[in-house]
Amino acid sequence: MHKSKSMYPYYLVWPALIIYFIFFAFPALIGFYYSFTDWRLDRDTIQFVGWDNFKAIFSDKVLILALKNTLIFAVVTVIGKNIFGLLLAIGLNMKLKTRNVLRAVYFSPSILSILVISIIFTPILRTEGMINSLLGKLGLESLAQAWLTNPSIVVWTIAAVSIWQSVGFQMAIYLAGLQSISKEYYEAAKIDGASAWRSFTNITLPLLLPAININIMLTLIGGLKVFSEVYVLTGGGPGNASQVVGTIILRAFGEGNWGLGTAVNTLLFISVSVIAVPLIMFMRRKEVAE
Amino acid sequence: MKPKMRTIALSVIASTMALSLAACGSDNKGETAGESSNKNNSGSKSNVTLELAISKSSQDSPFIADWLLKEFETETGIKINLQLIPAEQSTTVLQTKLAVNEVPDLIQYNLASAVTDLNLERNFEILDNEPWVDRILNADVLSAYGNIYSFHVSQDTGMQGVVYNKDIFEELNLEIPTSYEEFLAVCEAIKASGVTPVFMPYKDAWAANIWPAAAFADYAAKNDPTLFDDINANKKNWTDIPELEGILDQQYQIFKLGYTNADVLSDSYDMAVGKFLNKEVAMMFMGDWLIQNIESQDPEMNLGLFAIPYGEDPTIGASPLGGQLFIPKNSKHIAEAKQYLAFIASPEIAQKIVDEERYVSNLSDVTTPEQPAYKQEIIDNYITPKKVTLTMDAHTVVDQNEWYRNLQDHFTGSITPKEVLENWDVKFKDLMKAKGVEGF
Repeated sequence: MHKSKSMYPYYLVWPALIIYFIFFAFPALIGFYYSFTDWRLDRDTIQFVGWDNFKAIFSDKVLILALKNTLIFAVVTVIGKNIFGLLLAIGLNMKLKTRNVLRAVYFSPSILSILVISIIFTPILRTEGMINSLLGKLGLESLAQAWLTNPSIVVWTIAAVSIWQSVGFQMAIYLAGLQSISKEYYEAAKIDGASAWRSFTNITLPLLLPAININIMLTLIGGLKVFSEVYVLTGGGPGNASQVVGTIILRAFGEGNWGLGTAVNTLLFISVSVIAVPLIMFMRRKEVAE
Repeated sequence: MKPKMRTIALSVIASTMALSLAACGSDNKGETAGESSNKNNSGSKSNVTLELAISKSSQDSPFIADWLLKEFETETGIKINLQLIPAEQSTTVLQTKLAVNEVPDLIQYNLASAVTDLNLERNFEILDNEPWVDRILNADVLSAYGNIYSFHVSQDTGMQGVVYNKDIFEELNLEIPTSYEEFLAVCEAIKASGVTPVFMPYKDAWAANIWPAAAFADYAAKNDPTLFDDINANKKNWTDIPELEGILDQQYQIFKLGYTNADVLSDSYDMAVGKFLNKEVAMMFMGDWLIQNIESQDPEMNLGLFAIPYGEDPTIGASPLGGQLFIPKNSKHIAEAKQYLAFIASPEIAQKIVDEERYVSNLSDVTTPEQPAYKQEIIDNYITPKKVTLTMDAHTVVDQNEWYRNLQDHFTGSITPKEVLENWDVKFKDLMKAKGVEGF
């Protein structure tokens, strides 16, 4: 790095830092404290109760189910959004006449409100809905499912909707990454007789790592913090079959059990950090400079 | 990180920040508007704007009718700003507003739920000394803990049972069933005629509660009058009474025998009116408010209500009165909010509302208009012969959502009625313990 006069003085960072502290860091810290209390709607006083809230969390079978669902959702969406996002990006990075139109088409679901998505998908996914009647017409009745009301598949359905919605966003990031790779590498590889697959694994993938890292982090954190998709499509139902950590927090708050809700929130914060921070550091080291 | 990627990352972060700031911004706007109108409070007419919070599902409430708000403003200069809260979030939003002291000046809510969800005693103003109190006929429907906490011009608590299409019953020569076996026979006959006998919109989990809430209460009143008191004092468990399992199984069997819509867990309550209007369905377990909703769309519809036929000669379920107006203790404009209640309670205005809604009047100088046929029938068949029992909801003092979710789970076929009661027993005790109820 060559020495240059810094364009802006450091004190300009203060407004952002103050906002960050007041609206994020401070509430998060206070949250740690409240998660060890019996803070409730109908109590005037708040008492310190030690680990009680956390013990309650791990003895609640609905919460264990919610943790399991959250993990399934996170893993499935990370894989789905990234693989399909990358494939779309590679496809739409080719010289197609319609590529600008197609890019816009694939990107458009990610700017839709999740409520709109729910209004579109709820009738499609009904037992008598479009997907099942389509399967019926193709002679595949045996594949028809109660997509949103069968407890054993509902989480997968929500994950699929989530992939459909945000794959265009992942595609956009991959596209930007792909376009920043210089053509010269491919030309050199071609002269050396490399196959398309070899250029993909030895040129594209390594140089795309920063984009892959960002996408994996975004989808992983988004997956672990999932709330709105589940909330609008099933509300955690049927029964508690599709509860995730996010909806459990809402449930605890709804029951007036704010201490417990905050404890679940703290747990979520810690789990996301424990998973995300080491992963970020690991992936950073793998990045190569062009 | 390469410059391009950094730009992308930065713009992602920047847009997130912008969004969260925008969200804060819109909140502040409401606040300053309220304050500035407060400062201008010097003319002969008040310039106050009252904030009235109400669930979106109650948007047809007569207390927020356009003409009423306008007349109130012309008379007093006080504006009323409505805060419509999404139905499924109304509890959470109101709890949060009360907790952080960002309170509306008026809230429309159900009294019984205000006791369980909103900490009535701590958060709301006692209205015992308001000018309209002397004219109230039935103060019980507005009171809790011995004080009047809420306001309504009606004293008509909703009745819960089986809403049915009388024309279909007549065409098929069917009688009102008074036992479970008779009910199944009625279902069979209706099904044979090509109409869906029962509409179950159990995507909305609470709708699955109408059958058990009325049946449990009737069972308790006839066989075990202290049942709910014992459960609330931890002297009995929900799992102790095998008959309750039977009642849950009855409702499930109606579905299993094919007497309902196919997709009970996908269909929601808001579809009910349409299903009745199109004569696709003949019956539904619901409150009489549904009849009013349907008949307001098509006065030709001929509907009635009978008691949940879980056993011999059942009584009809009465739900606690809902839709009252409350004034939070920390409202900035308590006097003006009280003025609004007094305005609605004035004989002329109250009469207009009571007439329009065909309420059973709760004010001594406001007359009850002629009741619709279905209501008169409920009065003749159930209320006058005293065949009415308060539903289970009136006895439950904790949040019931987990109970509803278990009922819904039952309909996925993944748990048995016994497990429904076991799960609820555990949750119920947790909630009672957390609430600090004696005995838990």
